[in-house]
Amino acid sequence: MRPLSRVGLYLALTVAAVTFIYPFLWMASSTLKPPLEFGSLALIPDRITLDNYRIMWSRAPFGRALLNSVFVAGTITASVLVLGSITAYAMARLTFPGRRALNAATVAVLLVPGQLTLIPLYTLIVQLGWVDTYAALIVPYLFNATAILMLRQFFLQIPQSLIDSARMDGMSELRILFTIFWPLARPPLAIVAIFTFMGSWNEVLWPLLVVRDEQTMTLPQLLTVFALGGGAGTLGVSLAAAMVLVVPVVIAYMFLQRYFIESMAGAGVKG
Amino acid sequence: MPPVSFERVCKRFGTVGVVEEFSLDVADGELLVLVGGSGSGKSTILRMVAGLESVTTGSIRIGDREITHLPPRQRDVAMVFQDYALYPHLSVRDNLSLGLRLRKVPRAEIDRRVGWAGEMLGLAPLLERKPKQLSGGQRQRVAMGRAMVREPLVFLFDEPMSNLDAGLRAQMRIEIGALQRRLLTTTIYVTHDQVEAMTLGDRIVVLANGRIQQVGRPIELYRRPLNRFVAGFIGTPPMNFIDGALQRVNGGAAFVADGVRIALPGDRLATGAEPRTLGIRPEDLRIVAGTSSGESDTEVTGRAVLVERLGGTSHIHFDVGPHRMLASVSGDPLPDVGDVIRVQVPPANVHLFGADGVAL
Repeated sequence: MRPLSRVGLYLALTVAAVTFIYPFLWMASSTLKPPLEFGSLALIPDRITLDNYRIMWSRAPFGRALLNSVFVAGTITASVLVLGSITAYAMARLTFPGRRALNAATVAVLLVPGQLTLIPLYTLIVQLGWVDTYAALIVPYLFNATAILMLRQFFLQIPQSLIDSARMDGMSELRILFTIFWPLARPPLAIVAIFTFMGSWNEVLWPLLVVRDEQTMTLPQLLTVFALGGGAGTLGVSLAAAMVLVVPVVIAYMFLQRYFIESMAGAGVKG
Repeated sequence: MPPVSFERVCKRFGTVGVVEEFSLDVADGELLVLVGGSGSGKSTILRMVAGLESVTTGSIRIGDREITHLPPRQRDVAMVFQDYALYPHLSVRDNLSLGLRLRKVPRAEIDRRVGWAGEMLGLAPLLERKPKQLSGGQRQRVAMGRAMVREPLVFLFDEPMSNLDAGLRAQMRIEIGALQRRLLTTTIYVTHDQVEAMTLGDRIVVLANGRIQQVGRPIELYRRPLNRFVAGFIGTPPMNFIDGALQRVNGGAAFVADGVRIALPGDRLATGAEPRTLGIRPEDLRIVAGTSSGESDTEVTGRAVLVERLGGTSHIHFDVGPHRMLASVSGDPLPDVGDVIRVQVPPANVHLFGADGVAL
């Protein structure tokens, strides 16, 4: 009975996995198909062509948009990690006047939906004259309350004696953070990094509001403008653009998934 | 110039005083043990020397240098923590050498010191391992090695053995003692375990509620405790106390309590205050053979309620009137539970305390 139920379980899981993976694989293979083959559900094209990519690349500055996206998402991710962990360290391990208030304020930020601040933020960017600049895309995202709270929670679990010991060894607080805490906090840092990067990478609404110049556009924004504006022409070209968007995230995930699993499994710090 | 001197050091958290008026000189090469229960302020004192806790008032000097407000790294002290505080992501070698690298000690000198400490503590084969791959005792040694390689003016130990099992603790106690005698580095050692204090300390400071109760050599504290707290804290099993009053009868005197009457030698009563508590160590009590032969003023009669055989010695718990007492005796025969026993209380070994708990 047992092996049989096991077979059933694997069967169900396989069906589920296929349901998730098939559309993605179909999209990937379709970018390599000539327009005539789009009707087919087959995953392996009869004739492989790179025309879709060639057309996409020639019609809009996708190369530039890719670089823009890497720059914007990369800067935001680095900042959220560095500034976020500095803030989290201070909130978790230092005593200073206003610490409780800062904690409360950080939690309060989570309760405000992003849509609510969209218009005031937009007005601010216009006032600052930042429309069509990288600053408009990057600056509002330099800090992230979720990241701060997540790192703070992890930093709270690190034994005080480790900090004491590092202080006696002659380390400054920043050095303690980056040479002692960071190596211990790799799983939560990886989670924060990937969520921040993905969030920023996939962001469409905000760039659409503050950037109109094609040269400053990020990849998903250009893709949206391109596909909705009818620039793509065929479905294959649209899918090829979507492929360019999705590949970096998949690669990032592959590198970081070890920490993902570690973190989900609740690996802690042990002396 | 004593290596460490405290002058009227106070520590308060808000309005709560944790350490009050702590003044003490630690001698060169001495191993000083701070002992006391939880909340006695012993760890706070140690952390103030380390610079991990600020000093509210008073001053601390190391040698001729005032260090009261210096940051930890400028104090030339090294500390061994209760949970060892080894950096989990670094190898033993890196754990040992990190403090030196941060101080820009030359490479060759670092290697020499790490080699020396590794040799001395038997860590040589473990240098490339991570702390996770070490046993409790090995981690303990790495923590000590990390303090040693710094070659500090003062070692600080903060309950370093409370995470070890009993057997290992006895072994590490011997090792720490031997190591300190070899290095002759001035050491302040905090523990709540009075056995550790007695066996390791050149001198012991007994603390309660942030105040010094007594400072002295271990045997002094044992033989002549200054107050009831020290009397009860030093010595295992702890001293028996009986509350009662003094009764003077034609020239002599006796300490009298419910079911107890102990004659006191005249010279014990020279001081002014009236004794209110009699203390006697369990090991000073002797079970007298035979049944009671009438009243004796150096004996008490009680009923055994529990007999613990520890092998070499046995603990006999017995009730005298309302007083539960404990005698630590060696050899046979032992009474059975429920037996009426006669216990001799040698007047010379009796400790007397006044109403305020101060020894008379």
